[in-house]
Parts: sequence; C-alpha cells; structure tokens
Amino acid sequence: MAGVWVFAENYEHGLELLQIGRSLADKTGVELTAFACGDKEVGQQYIYYGAHQVFILPPLAEDQPLETYVPAIAEVARQEDPDIFLFAATLRGKEIAARVAARLNTGLCSECIELDIKDNKLEMKRVLYGGAALQTIICKTRPQMATIPVHTFTSVTDLDNTRQGIIKEFDPISSTPVKVRDRQPRAQESGDITRSRVLVCVGRGVEKEEDLKLARELAEILGGDLACTRPIAEELHWMPQETYIGLSGQTVKPELYIGLGISGQIQHTTGIRDSRIICTINKDEDAPIFKISDYGIVGDLYKVVPFLSQELARLKKK
Amino acid sequence: MFKISLNIIACFKWVVDHEDIKVNPETNELVLDRAGYRISDYDRFAIEEAVALSEQYGGSTTAVTVGFPAAKKSLKDALARGPEKAIFINDPAFANLEPSQTAAILAQSINNQEFDLIICGEGSGDLYAQQVGPRLAEHLNIPCASFVRKITIEGRELIAERRVDEGIEIISMPLPALVTVLPEINSPRVPGLKDTLAASKKPVVEITGSDLEETVPCLETVEIKATTMERNCEKFDANEDDLKRFVEVLLRAGVID
Ligand SMILES: Cc1cc2nc3c(=O)[nH]c(=O)nc-3n(C[C@H](O)[C@H](O)[C@H](O)COP(=O)(O)OP(=O)(O)OC[C@H]3O[C@@H](n4cnc5c(N)ncnc54)[C@H](O)[C@@H]3O)c2cc1C
Ligand SMILES: Nc1ncnc2c1ncn2[C@@H]1O[C@H](COP(=O)(O)O)[C@@H](O)[C@H]1O
Repeated sequence: MAGVWVFAENYEHGLELLQIGRSLADKTGVELTAFACGDKEVGQQYIYYGAHQVFILPPLAEDQPLETYVPAIAEVARQEDPDIFLFAATLRGKEIAARVAARLNTGLCSECIELDIKDNKLEMKRVLYGGAALQTIICKTRPQMATIPVHTFTSVTDLDNTRQGIIKEFDPISSTPVKVRDRQPRAQESGDITRSRVLVCVGRGVEKEEDLKLARELAEILGGDLACTRPIAEELHWMPQETYIGLSGQTVKPELYIGLGISGQIQHTTGIRDSRIICTINKDEDAPIFKISDYGIVGDLYKVVPFLSQELARLKKK
Repeated sequence: MFKISLNIIACFKWVVDHEDIKVNPETNELVLDRAGYRISDYDRFAIEEAVALSEQYGGSTTAVTVGFPAAKKSLKDALARGPEKAIFINDPAFANLEPSQTAAILAQSINNQEFDLIICGEGSGDLYAQQVGPRLAEHLNIPCASFVRKITIEGRELIAERRVDEGIEIISMPLPALVTVLPEINSPRVPGLKDTLAASKKPVVEITGSDLEETVPCLETVEIKATTMERNCEKFDANEDDLKRFVEVLLRAGVID
C-alpha cells in the first residue's frame, strides 16, 4: 500500500502527524499508514483516529536506541514505495528521517512549516538563513519526505472506535552497533513555553545568573513565564534547554512577549514571529530587535525592569 | 594517559553571513551578491572538538569542506583553529548543493581516507537542514550519534552524551563513527596571530568535481522569499513618563490586566 506514511516517536506527536497525513491522503485520494513504536495499543488508537494501516515496530531492548528502527523502516519503505513520508521533527526523529532518506536516495525537507498538494506534488516550505527567508521546495524523488516540527499542526480529534484497519507487525529487530548505556531524564520539569500567554524572555544583556530574579518577578506580576535566548541556556546553562526560543529552540505564540537585553538576531526572532505584541528593552538604540518590536524601550534593563514591576504591581493593587 | 591516536575529520561549511543579507523591497527577493562569508558558526564547535580530542588522545585532525572556488578563503581560518591539514572539495557547481548531494560528495571524498571519527556540526548556518551528518554516516556505513554534548573515548569505543527530547541518552559505539555536536560541547578557541601564520604553511589537498561521480539534486527550489515582520516600531525612553506611557499602551492593548 503506497500513500502517505507518518512516523512519530510518541503517541502525542503521532496524532499531529495523522491530522496532516490524513488531509494529504484525502487530497490525493490515497491511504494513510502510521508507524507505532513497540505498542499495539497505540497502533489501534491510530486506526481509530484515521490511519488505514499501522506498522507495529517491535519493542526495543533496554540498550537499543530508537535509531535501531532505521534499517527496518527504510526496508519496508523500499518495498512498498510510499508517495509521501512524514516524520515528527523531534531530535531523534530528525536523525532517523535523514538516515532513512539517505537509504532511500531521496530528498528530505527539514522542519517543514507549511505543506500542500500542488499538481499532485507535495509543496513544502521551510526557513533558510536562520529565519531570514522562506524557501518553497518540491521533492522530485520518491518518497517525498519531510520532518514536521511538533506543535506545527493540531492533533486529530475525531475518534471513531469502530474503524477497522490493517495491522502489520514486524519481526524483532537485531541490534545495531550503537548501545544505550544510560538515560537521564530532564532535571527539572519546566513549563511548556509554547503555551504561555505572556513570556518574559532574557538575553545576554542580563549579566549574572542571580539577576534572572528581576525578570522572574516581572513575569510573575504579568502572570507569565520565563524564557531565554539560546546562549543563556546552551552556553551559560542558567535556564533549561526547553526554555530557549528560536530556530533551534521553541516557536512561541504568546499574547505578549517582553524581551530583556536581547540583540534581535534572526535565529532568535524567527521563533517569536507569531507573538501578538512584542516589547523589548535594550540599552543600544540601534539594536536590531527594535525593528521587529511593537514597543521598544531604549534603556538599561537594570533600571527599567524594577520600575515596570513596581508600576504594574501598584496598578494591580488598585 | 594511554594514547589511542585518532584520525579525526571535522566537516565545516563556508556560509553567507546572514547579517549581510539584504532584501529587494519591491520583489521581496534576497540580495546576496555583496554578502560576506564565514565558517558556519556551528562548525566551529565541530572543529574545536576534533582538535581537542586529538590533543587529548593523540592523533591528528583534518578539516574538510565542500564548496565553490571562493570558499578557498575558509581554509586558512579553519586551519588556524588547529587541524593539521585540510581537504578542499571544490567546484563551481558546488555553490548550491542540497544535503543529499553534499553528503554523497563528502562520502566519495572521505572513503579512501583513513579515519576513526567524523565530526559534523548539528546543522549548517544557512540551510540548517541537520541532514549531512546522519546521511554521511549511512553512505559510509558507520554508526552515528547526533546532537552530542560530550564525547569520551575508551579504547576503540566512543561514549557520547546526546540530547533527546526527554533528556540525555548516553550511548557507546565502536569506531570508526560519526557524531554531530551541539554548541554546548565546548568553547572554541580564538586563533591568534601565531595560529594564523602557522595555518598558511599547513597542507591542503584539493579534490575537484571531475574527480567525483556527479550528484543529482532530489529537491527543487520553487521560490525563495524574504520573511517580513511588520511591527509598530514605537520607541520609548527610560524616563518615568515614558515608562508609565508604555504601561498604559499595554493596558489598552488588553495584554495585561
Ligand atoms: C544556525 C543558528 C541557530 C541559532 N538558533 C538560535 C535559537 O534558536 N535561539 C536563539 O536565541 N539564538 C540562536 N542562535 C544564536 C543567535 O544567532 C544569537 O547569537 C543569539 O540569539 C544572541 O542572544 P542574545 O540576544 O541574548 O545576546 P547578544 O546578541 O549578545 O545581545 C545582548 C543584547 O543585550 C543588550 N544589553 C546589554 N546590557 C544591557 C542592559 N543592561 N540593559 C539592556 N540591554 C542590554 C545589548 O545591547 C545587546 O543588544 C543561533 C545561531 C545560529 C548560527
Ligand atoms: N558544504 C559542506 N562541506 C562540509 N561539511 C558540510 C557542508 N555542508 C554541511 N556540512 C556538515 O554537515 C553539518 C550539517 O549540515 P546541514 O545538513 O546542511 O544542516 C554541518 O554542520 C557541517 O558539519
């Protein structure tokens, strides 16, 4: 069965891909196939949510990384020749997709943020140059492949648990040379900034880790959450990895974004494009961030932020 | 410490400096002809990691790039960062390659080199496709770990700490292998005058397109347009009156209560 195939490493992302996959399958009049990783129950749910067929990949041993599935996925795709093959762009999903694409000798659109069928071809959009440009591409080889960032599309909602589908199970998968020795879950469970209504975002203009409390205070008064630029998380390790915004981090859509001490490099601002109102505080009046701000304050954040917090707290009391 | 002697290849790309990208306001097309180029930011971490590992365990580092003739300028910069030699895979046709082609070209060029480890950046500064590393590993049929933030070598095994969505996974794999590295893995050294002078004396091997099998793109670009972001752009000063006015604006916009 050719058609549209989707692979996600977990159930939640799987439902998002089913939604996109189903619209593409409907438009082109083909069937929809989903992979489920090691869990028949998940496969059954995928059928209730609209998959015509599911491939149940066998459970992995403790020391087998998810990428162990690569040869099996590539082999079944080679045999059955899908038209379109979408992957959830989780970190592992991106590696798996690239390796499957290499094995199938086909093109892959990384982090596709928009897609549609034009003249029976999948037309895909992605950002280039750190977010400065939008590229539209088609894939001339089969399957047409893309990775889709999580939360780009909504999940399917119309469950029909009378639906029937084909379930295919795979043989156990032999090990690859890569072995998992240990797994460490995230240290702190940080909130999900992609769902925040108000975000106070800190950049390198904040000098010391303890000064984050200025930003945290402002966020609390506004009923919002704290986010940051990449260097704050990745170089300074002041905040968890999941709280940085941008091209290689999260894409956010708050009602209000307030950036403190952020220069406005495109790799960061591409992640705040869909915010309703963008406010920034920067002491350099030529900082590029002002060009993409609705309201920009030229000033020292160490003076401005405490004043704003105080003023907002005063108004709140009234 | 017991010396293992590693031959490490660091892959880097010479990319347009995004700060130099201009936009034609009428057509919304990008104007790149006056833009400068630089070693892709993320690949500095790849080069640094290769050099640091070869210093720690013994061995040598080769910096490799696929590019068009103007990318020759990148070699001195790359070599000043510590590698012993460079391979320049050069052809005028290599200006706008897509990841499947770059990986195939790298694979052909690297195939007859002796290597223990290949290090790539997590993604290139211009395309940021995050594909070339894993694709290259598949072409060479070697194990691969992506988004790595720490590497140690134990005999002929590489131990990597890699990021996955739920946290960290610590994996081991036999050499030869490929890793793609995150910026948090190290702090690249800044080359000094001495390093730059030494760089001009280091060997560069050049490979041209005619030495390789031709690659065909899988993807076709239909259009590239600048992204625009229309915003109010109203500025406030940091004095008390302006800041109070700022708060009022937010109140009126209904984003705070
Ligand atoms: C391929 C690629 C992907 C990337 N992905 C991301 C990403 O996903 N997210 C991300 O954030 N970055 C990303 N980056 C990095 C990005 O290019 C920038 O380096 C980064 O966003 C800059 O962070 P910053 O604004 O905090 O720091 P800086 O650029 O150092 O800016 C600090 C600003 O603070 C101001 N300032 C200093 N002191 C004060 C003060 N007292 N009061 C007020 N203002 C002050 C300064 O004027 C300056 O403008 C990526 C880069 C590349 C190459
Ligand atoms: N033209 C190139 N020459 C050498 N290495 C490259 C080239 N393009 C990409 N790479 C390597 O592959 C990584 C990922 O690139 P990409 O898949 O384009 O995001 C980069 O960080 C480099 O290490």
